[in-house]
Amino acid sequence: MTKVPKRLGVKFNLKQTPQLQPADILPIFQRWIQEHTVPGMLIDVIDYKHVLEGPGVVLVADEADYAYDLGEGHPGLHYVRKRDLPDSLPAAIRLCFQHALQAARALEAEAPGDLVFDFASAKFSFLDRMRYRNRPSIFAAVQAEVADIVAGIYGAPVEVTRVNDDPRRLFALRARLRDGQINLDEIAGRLSCSPEIA
Amino acid sequence: MTSWKELLKDEIPAEMGNLIDIYEAQMELRKQGKLDEKVFAESRLRKGVYGQRYDNGQRHDGVQTRELTFPSADIVKGPDTLWDAPGMQRIKIPYGGLTAEQLETLSELADEYSGGILHITTRQDIQLHYVHIDDTPDLMRRLAAVGITTQEACGNSVRNITACSLAGVCHDEVFDVSPYADAMTQFLLGHDDVQDFGRKFKVAFSGCAGHACGLVKMHDLGLLAQSREINGETRRGFTVFVGGGLGTVPHQAKVLADFVTEEELLPLTQAVARVFARLGEKKNRNRARLKFLVAKLGIDEFRELVQEELKIVPPDERHTAYMDSLGAFVYQPAKAGMALNGAALPAGFADWYRSNVYRQAQPGYSTITLHTPLGDFTAEQGFQLADIARRYVGDNIRLSVEQNFVLRWVADADLPSIYRDLDAIGLADSGAGTIVDITSCPGTDTCKLGIASSRGLTAELRTRLIEKINLLPDAVRDLKIKVSGCFNSCGQHHVADIGFFGNSRRSGNHKMPHFQVVLGGQWQENAGSYGLAVGAVPAKSVPDVLEALTERYVAERAADENFQTWVKELGRKEIKVMLQPFTKLPSFEENPAFFSDWGDSRVYTIDDIGVGECAGEVVSLFSMEISRAESTHFEALLALDDGDFATADHHAYKAMVLAARALVRTKYLDVGDDYNVIVQEFRSRFYDTELIYDRFAKGKFARYLFKRHEAAPARVNEDYAHQIIDETQLFIENVHSAEQRINGVIVG
Ligand code: HEM
Ligand code: SF4
Repeated sequence: MTKVPKRLGVKFNLKQTPQLQPADILPIFQRWIQEHTVPGMLIDVIDYKHVLEGPGVVLVADEADYAYDLGEGHPGLHYVRKRDLPDSLPAAIRLCFQHALQAARALEAEAPGDLVFDFASAKFSFLDRMRYRNRPSIFAAVQAEVADIVAGIYGAPVEVTRVNDDPRRLFALRARLRDGQINLDEIAGRLSCSPEIA
Repeated sequence: MTSWKELLKDEIPAEMGNLIDIYEAQMELRKQGKLDEKVFAESRLRKGVYGQRYDNGQRHDGVQTRELTFPSADIVKGPDTLWDAPGMQRIKIPYGGLTAEQLETLSELADEYSGGILHITTRQDIQLHYVHIDDTPDLMRRLAAVGITTQEACGNSVRNITACSLAGVCHDEVFDVSPYADAMTQFLLGHDDVQDFGRKFKVAFSGCAGHACGLVKMHDLGLLAQSREINGETRRGFTVFVGGGLGTVPHQAKVLADFVTEEELLPLTQAVARVFARLGEKKNRNRARLKFLVAKLGIDEFRELVQEELKIVPPDERHTAYMDSLGAFVYQPAKAGMALNGAALPAGFADWYRSNVYRQAQPGYSTITLHTPLGDFTAEQGFQLADIARRYVGDNIRLSVEQNFVLRWVADADLPSIYRDLDAIGLADSGAGTIVDITSCPGTDTCKLGIASSRGLTAELRTRLIEKINLLPDAVRDLKIKVSGCFNSCGQHHVADIGFFGNSRRSGNHKMPHFQVVLGGQWQENAGSYGLAVGAVPAKSVPDVLEALTERYVAERAADENFQTWVKELGRKEIKVMLQPFTKLPSFEENPAFFSDWGDSRVYTIDDIGVGECAGEVVSLFSMEISRAESTHFEALLALDDGDFATADHHAYKAMVLAARALVRTKYLDVGDDYNVIVQEFRSRFYDTELIYDRFAKGKFARYLFKRHEAAPARVNEDYAHQIIDETQLFIENVHSAEQRINGVIVG
């Protein structure tokens, strides 16, 4: 069975740079803590928007981080699961996808029409250089499996590519829907009735 | 499954690996409730593992205080400090010197353990925040594999030894202090004489008297490079300062010795450490720094005590051995030095050149400062910077106390291209060392003691000042601003032209974040004098206060009058008058924005302030040392579980020796590490005198140690391993109770 990384991230990019500034995310995330908008034991909000293409504004929880992430010059919602990952890769990926999707949709609702995510594509980061060194052999070993898992989520085939080939960088994959419409409610439904997600 | 421990076992120096294993075993013992929480807290701090805000399990969300229900709720990693709560890892970078490879490893760790962010501190350390304690042993192993330790990064120990970031390339230095800082780091790390301090001990080196870089006068021990003619020979040495320090009550250091030679440097330092360990305050944490001891005794008496101590410091070849390798400390530039060649310069280059480039003493080379906002950088920037370093300067990377990167040995001809490359990764902002390059402590973002948001204020001032930097007169441009989140002064606000530290005031029924304004501190002359607190203003008024101050300074200053002199001339009274309009507080209804801190939308509260760990825990030397014996015993148990009986025996024996040593050291500090000496001292001091005797078993437990020490077992099997582990346990218990009997009540 393919190993589960220690930490796993899923990021959805925004379709275009919004009017909303990163600073505007701070009060949103603070309110999310008060209202418990997203799951988890929510702790605090951190502001890293002053660094170039960094994690932006982060809502830190015990088991995960939700970041309005500015990495690679693409603002987006990055969910990183830090602990309590299920012990199979399909379940881990589905869990992170589900939480990222939920948070991104909640964020869209904060600025309708301005914050618009490209849900047809997702980046998966494997934050674990012990089990997932960024090497071609690792890519070869998991590409098909990840493509299968993600296709199962979308209900349609996806293409999976490696985000970069520098062995020092995190191993990360981009999955993109080959074509076709996506129905987020259907996806969310598929994920929430998944038996693997506790 | 493989582990980092397994994977890196050949790359980690044995002693470093051993200390990390002990720490990991201590973690396990703490989780099982078998190690006292204070002893564990101090052990953890001495590994650089620090608490963070909200780790007491409470946070005010702007409406109410909420309980943070961490999964392992009832397990603590120190008094009132929950196990699962995110914490900070401080990583010692001696004199701020980093290699490209080390920078890459640090970046990898940030990626995996701290959300992709690294932070440069005001003492040339790197910090990772939001780290889970369970990740710290592996994090330390990965650092150890590239020659970095976190040992004694916090707690009551010798902290990172700092030095001018220009050391070795500076025009004004007497000589390069880097190899001395390096030698002292190695000498003091884990040294027996620095394990029993009542408080932290900070050391800094400086290459010259006039400039700021080394800040020796605000350190517990400051070493200022000097040279002297002795017997017709020019000798290198140092003026030694002691008892400086910031904190709530800042002290300027006093001169302990005008000149000590290279040979005398380490023994003298050792003598100071021994006097501090013996006579320094241990109970009252607020008066435990060396500065209080020096002030209490007076410098003359302190000097005498140090001189007396020096006579009994045991001889040690390491005192002078380092001098043989001084010559090997050479810099390897990546390229030959070459002048700028007149090619077209990129936009923005001229400004950057003016503020961020220093022409080295070595012709054809420059040192550049990377203005790093709030001291933060991303893992991605770390990787890219490592590439840039390799391309242009090799391993000549340093961190500065102004929370910046410094790249040395850039060939002048490369300046335009390195500027372009740095610009591409967001690290070519101009204004290094100017008013926009503000220093800040962590403040309310992560510090348990934070009262106001130093980082929020710094970010705000920085954004505003950058917009108008080109319009500012030089006199203002060159001012330094430093911000702390409370009076503890981790942001070094005492030594800035304009400093701020957080406090709070009441307006109606609400608290309002404030900053105390501190003016006229001196960065030059190694932090030559401290600023004057002139009054508190609301956090949200600070930008206006700054503008009022700087405008008046420009308008009224005499030609060439510096800020310190101007402040002095103006006087505290007049400044108070100037601040008066800002001290009128709006009500909540009039201006609710004043009741939120910078960068935080929550209504301000001071309810989140917790108990800081800066003072470490009052734990006796014995408690610290016996806990090492206990965790070594625990490692023996693990080896037994693994079926590795030889290792179990090895650890059990070592645990007994460590326990004996802990007891011997309560009477004889200089016992050293030799097993024979330890056992012999133990026998004569505690066994022959019957002090160790148990009421019923008499000397039986001690004889377990003697038996194992006299002869290694002929056959090591499971039964034997079980037996020696049990015997070790009994011996450790015996030592514990004997210690209480002999030495009376101990704390912790
Ligand atoms: C009573 C408690 C504390 C006192 C008196 C204190 C004092 C200081 C002082 C004077 C410095 C200044 C710089 C220097 O010596 O060069 C410093 C550095 C620093 N302090 Fe504190 N501090 C305390 C607690 C804390 C806490 C709770 C935190 C937050 C976690 C913190 C974070 C820092 C940081 C990040 C630095 C920069 C330095 C480094 O690398 O050593 N301090 N501290
Ligand atoms: S100055 Fe105060 S707020 Fe800032 S880090 Fe130090 S103790 Fe914390």
